[in-house]
Amino acid sequence: MAQRGRHERYLNRFGWFCVAPSMVLFCLFMLYPIVSSLYYVTRKWKGMTDTFIGLGNFVRMANDKIFQAAVGHNFLFMFIQVPVMIFLALLLAVFLNQSIRRFRGPLRLAIFLPSITSLVVVSVLFRVLLQTNGFLNNVMLDAHLITTPIGWLNDAFWTKVTIMLAMTWRWTGYNMVFFLVGLQSLDRQIFEAAEVDGASKARQFFTITVPLLVPIILFSAVTSTSGTMQLFDEPNILTWQGGPSNATMTAALYIFRQAFVVNSDFGYATSMSYVVVLISGVFAFIQLRLLGGERVKK
Amino acid sequence: MSVVRRFSVGRVTMWLVLLAGAAVSIFPFYWMLNGMTLNPNDVLKGVLVPGRELALNWEKANRNYNLPLFFMNSLKIALLTVVFGVVINALAAFVFEKYRSRARERVFGVLLLTLIIPQIAIVIPMFKLFAYFKLLNTHAAIILPAVMSVFIIFFMRQNFRLFPTEIMEAARVDGASELSIFVRIVAPSMRASFASAAIYIFINQWNVYLWPLMTILTDAKKTLPIAMSSMMSAYTIEYGALMIIVCVSTLPVLVMFLTMQKQFVAGLMGSVK
Repeated sequence: MAQRGRHERYLNRFGWFCVAPSMVLFCLFMLYPIVSSLYYVTRKWKGMTDTFIGLGNFVRMANDKIFQAAVGHNFLFMFIQVPVMIFLALLLAVFLNQSIRRFRGPLRLAIFLPSITSLVVVSVLFRVLLQTNGFLNNVMLDAHLITTPIGWLNDAFWTKVTIMLAMTWRWTGYNMVFFLVGLQSLDRQIFEAAEVDGASKARQFFTITVPLLVPIILFSAVTSTSGTMQLFDEPNILTWQGGPSNATMTAALYIFRQAFVVNSDFGYATSMSYVVVLISGVFAFIQLRLLGGERVKK
Repeated sequence: MSVVRRFSVGRVTMWLVLLAGAAVSIFPFYWMLNGMTLNPNDVLKGVLVPGRELALNWEKANRNYNLPLFFMNSLKIALLTVVFGVVINALAAFVFEKYRSRARERVFGVLLLTLIIPQIAIVIPMFKLFAYFKLLNTHAAIILPAVMSVFIIFFMRQNFRLFPTEIMEAARVDGASELSIFVRIVAPSMRASFASAAIYIFINQWNVYLWPLMTILTDAKKTLPIAMSSMMSAYTIEYGALMIIVCVSTLPVLVMFLTMQKQFVAGLMGSVK
């Protein structure tokens, strides 16, 4: 008995020994930043010195039109780009699932390929492709689709479209792969029965496929939402520092610029990131609640 | 009759959508490969036939932008993070799964909670931390915070669950130490999930942008993404050389994807930006 207790203690010590390195790193690079930001939130930096200002940073935020617009852009991208992308990914997955087996592999490979590119590369590529006198405008002018070039990179409206185009190109195939896995796990007999009952393919899509894939769709929605709240690389490179005149400024980019480019106020920047954490948390909570509810129903 | 017609119209739409999707997905890859051979003006105009300036662009990328240095910097950072990251996270995941205790389960719960915290929220205090230790503008600053990954621990733990605990018991009876059970018995049979974890860490570090943008200050320390980003902010952009750097930074990931598709997709599945 005593022997056994000693062995348990040995196993337990071995356990802590193995998690120790990752715990040290976790404390340094996750826990410490989170805890110390509590201090940052109450301070204002001027040059090298910082002073206590209580909730002053949050008052400033309430009057900061650019920050509010930036969060608004995050919401805009989230509510337009994410649903469009998920629909596209779903459509492609369903079509791919019904296509001839021999072509399925190569097509899936092709559509997934954008997911291997880095966000910096995507931003660079789209910035070159979408110049006013660049490739896409030239093609559309030649095809008489437009009469004057579109300001993909310098018009307040079109730059937002540009960001969403780049995001959709980069992430659709990625989400499609999730949906394909889900589709392959569905029972074919449901569709055969629907076929016999005379349900059209479109009807089958909306009344069978989509409801059965809800958990995976929600998972995609959660991850895409959190990604969109952190949007940084694209507005910084593709539309050049959130331009034109902040038309594509996002929360993360604004925080970065407040801390490192414009006036190095780490206190204000940290306070704004608190708000972003809060928003992401609320969205994650709502979506996970939906996800959990769905599981229970099944 | 009408059923057959509707059916075939549906088939045609289906194939058109699929082919359009594939074409749109692949086109930028062709375009950037082809761009390597063009002069800057033709890159912008989007000429689709190969040009003759590949050698010139290559030389510019190497001489004006020091491509080999940026490549080696990126490679060094990514590989070192993979080596440390795989070992440290796998050990932790193994213990969390196979040596359960109430205290460790609680720790694991705290780890999972931090998954929802966006990176932007922790980089500012982290910047101050690295400034305090005089580690700004070093590669260590990029490697250290990326080694421990809650997602990888979570992912590996899921995989260790599949490993039968009875085999560990048997080895224990035979007198094997706990560490050698892990190194000699568990790890070799889980090569696929180690590969997925390695690919995930490699790609994240190869592409990381925000944190190096804050900490890297000199040309000598720049990585490929930072180099591309500063090229884009230059007054005149050397588009031909830019396409070379774009291709060079995409190629390793492409090769990895094509050779290890299964592990690649498994690793990427959790890569939530």
